[in-house]
Amino acid sequence: MDFRFDIIVEYAPYFFQGLLATIGVSLVGIIFGLILGLFIGLGKMASHPIVRWPFVWYINFFRGTPLVVQILLVHFGVMPLLFAQPNAIVSLAVALSLNSAAYVAEIFRAGIQSIDKGQMEAARSLGMTHAQAMRYIILPQALKRMIPPFANEFIVLIKDSSLGMVIAAPEIMYWGKAAAGEYYRVWEPYLTVAFVYLVLTLSLSKLSHYLERKYSTS
Amino acid sequence: MIDVRQLKKSFGSLEVLKGINAHIREGEVVVVIGPSGSGKSTFLRCLNLLEDFDEGEIIIDGINLKAKDTNLNKVREEVGMVFQRFNLFPHMTVLNNITLAPMKVRKWPREKAEAKAMELLAKVGLQDKAHAYPDSLSGGQAQRVAIARALAMEPKIMLFDEPTSALDPEMVGEVLSVMKQLANEGMTMVVVTHEMGFAREVGDRVLFMDGGCIVEEGKPEDLFDRPQHERTKAFLSKVL
Repeated sequence: MDFRFDIIVEYAPYFFQGLLATIGVSLVGIIFGLILGLFIGLGKMASHPIVRWPFVWYINFFRGTPLVVQILLVHFGVMPLLFAQPNAIVSLAVALSLNSAAYVAEIFRAGIQSIDKGQMEAARSLGMTHAQAMRYIILPQALKRMIPPFANEFIVLIKDSSLGMVIAAPEIMYWGKAAAGEYYRVWEPYLTVAFVYLVLTLSLSKLSHYLERKYSTS
Repeated sequence: MIDVRQLKKSFGSLEVLKGINAHIREGEVVVVIGPSGSGKSTFLRCLNLLEDFDEGEIIIDGINLKAKDTNLNKVREEVGMVFQRFNLFPHMTVLNNITLAPMKVRKWPREKAEAKAMELLAKVGLQDKAHAYPDSLSGGQAQRVAIARALAMEPKIMLFDEPTSALDPEMVGEVLSVMKQLANEGMTMVVVTHEMGFAREVGDRVLFMDGGCIVEEGKPEDLFDRPQHERTKAFLSKVL
């Protein structure tokens, strides 16, 4: 089998642009997913059922429907209401943020609830407020336990950003498909794309292991 | 110091406290004994409102816990608590376990909090463990650190919730001797325990609880040697 490196070389600038787009939407998805997810997670732990309800259903919707449907809804449904010319990269970043927030919320909730009840009681018995107990006692312990599930979620997020293809968001998968279409070749573009995702996800997994080690020794 | 009137509490349909009345004076050591499920731990946990109650009132140092304008955190600053399972903060050194609340709640400067912590660690015989993490301590050491942590807030009252029940037998003595020392210094203490020897020797008064009520109370020598109620007799005959 002849492997045409010249196709990869020719498309290299586009693959590079696509890589930047993939990294960009993934970072946005991770950062906004974390911020939004913390609030939704805390909301879901509220004691009053009426307060909990919208957060519960946010999570139900974004975990219970396919991401590709959410991307289409955001790009062709929500974004045109806000912008005259929706940008596919922006739509993809928004959809990924909303989606990952639902998973992040559950990771926060599970992490916080996994800490022994006695820790909160000890902190409160010393006169600390609920917020102080959360900040100094519960979250530092919970965050350590959240590192592996977060890494897991963000690895999935990086790979799922390839679904941006369906709205022609020019991330790396889009350029792979473009190259495949132009040359009627399968292996060269798709293996290149696969390799790029692998490098990204393995880097994230290394970072997670590093953080886990760092926080388990201190 | 502590006034408890008609205290009632239910978990769902199970009534665990059926109208408790108790008065604890300053400097008094009150030991609460009774079979498991008698409500003694729940009673103790109501005293700093770690457990909410349904009816009655608790007045600590003149402050009604359930009054609208009561700042519960302020009350808890004056009421230290020691737990059966220590509940040390595992992500902090022993020193930081002790200094955290004085620094964050009482707003002491670090030097003052650390000086106080070292003084208390000396008192419980654990100066050399200041920079150790809780998981490297034995149960007895952990519980002594937990006592030091509670004392660092300079509370007026100390609550002990079965402080020796999770310990290996050979470590019970070291914790009880710290508690005894504390009692001798005049600390107001409420102790839920199964250590009848401690109750007899250190307690000024013993409350016997069963089925959510205080069945009998009195000086240790009276209650242990001349129990009046059948339930008290039955319980003591099993544990003594």
